[in-house]
Amino acid sequence: MDPHDLTAAYALDALGPDEAEAYERHLGQCEECREELAELNETAAALAFGTAAPAPPERLRASILDAAAAERSNVVPLLRRRWVARGLAVAAAAAACIIVGLAVSQSQSSGPQLSWQLSVGPTGKATLSVSGLAAAPHGKTYEAWLIPAGHSPRPAGLFSGSTSGVRLHGTVPPHGVVAVTVEPAGGSSHPTTRPIVTMPIQT
Amino acid sequence: MNRQLAHLSDEALVALAARSEQSALAELYDRYGRTAYGLALRVLRDQTLAEDAVQEAFLTVWRTASRFMPERGKASTWILTLVHRRAVDAVRREQRRRADSLDLAAEPAVEGVEEDAFLRLQRERVQTALRRLPDAQREALELAYYGGFSQSELAERLGQPLGTIKSRMFGGLSRMRELLGEPGTETSWTPTT
Repeated sequence: MDPHDLTAAYALDALGPDEAEAYERHLGQCEECREELAELNETAAALAFGTAAPAPPERLRASILDAAAAERSNVVPLLRRRWVARGLAVAAAAAACIIVGLAVSQSQSSGPQLSWQLSVGPTGKATLSVSGLAAAPHGKTYEAWLIPAGHSPRPAGLFSGSTSGVRLHGTVPPHGVVAVTVEPAGGSSHPTTRPIVTMPIQT
Repeated sequence: MNRQLAHLSDEALVALAARSEQSALAELYDRYGRTAYGLALRVLRDQTLAEDAVQEAFLTVWRTASRFMPERGKASTWILTLVHRRAVDAVRREQRRRADSLDLAAEPAVEGVEEDAFLRLQRERVQTALRRLPDAQREALELAYYGGFSQSELAERLGQPLGTIKSRMFGGLSRMRELLGEPGTETSWTPTT
């Protein structure tokens, strides 16, 4: 495979994941391809203007701006296992009464591309983002939980898979924990499965 | 709607967004949100998924604005590339798509679209340029860009060697570049006042 002929396909997002990764490695070393890609990217993006553009729902604008505001104030990146392990330790220390449900949650083995990000605003409003998460199985949903130190989990919102921002219900207490479980569709009032991730609040 | 930033270039808005200026993100959304949503809807054919793709893309703009390099390309290109990538990632995650046929890339009928003169003009220019491509090139571009099909999927579904698909995509995109580069076919935002 000659990476030089992949520029157009890359600009159109028409490469598979492995091909795209190989091409990106090549780009780092090939000025010619970087220049060609810059041109073809611009043309590909022009195709976006070639389709009918119905107005998006009004709520989308507000949703984006709210999530942006929540993020920038206090971004807490939660990536990979190191953070998860730390989250578990904090959960164990801070929320002893529910730890039986949480501490055995080391089931995060979906590969390195799975990442969680919890953003907490100044008023304690939080937004949870995740990428690389498979869609919830049929009849199931992901449910987020807010766990104040020493208290039981409170339902904080439902989502179906990777998302750029679930606004969590309620406010995040300092030294609390946010956890996510898989629940029957419609959600539960208490966690019924082990969390797939637990995250400490570091405020 | 607050349009006090309407006189700024897209690139200036990205620089402001990098400094946590939320009104700059709002202005970028007001310029490109509709095109972004139309694109995501075309690829995904599902309003909820399209909204998610647009939201993720604009939040990526917000998170990574400080790393945007204007010398590498236009801000509008960057934003729409992010939207397209999100939409394509999402459509490929939808397993049910696999069973569907190639005519998914055809433009769905959208009713009640009232768009401004700028967007209508841009759409006509791009569609005119697309119509001037050889059929095979146009088909490859539309299936890849609007349909979200990978080059390997296209080779298989169209019964052509991969090399042929690559050539059609490259030829089509290069020709589009020439056609759109002709005078009067600028597709970036032009400040109104």
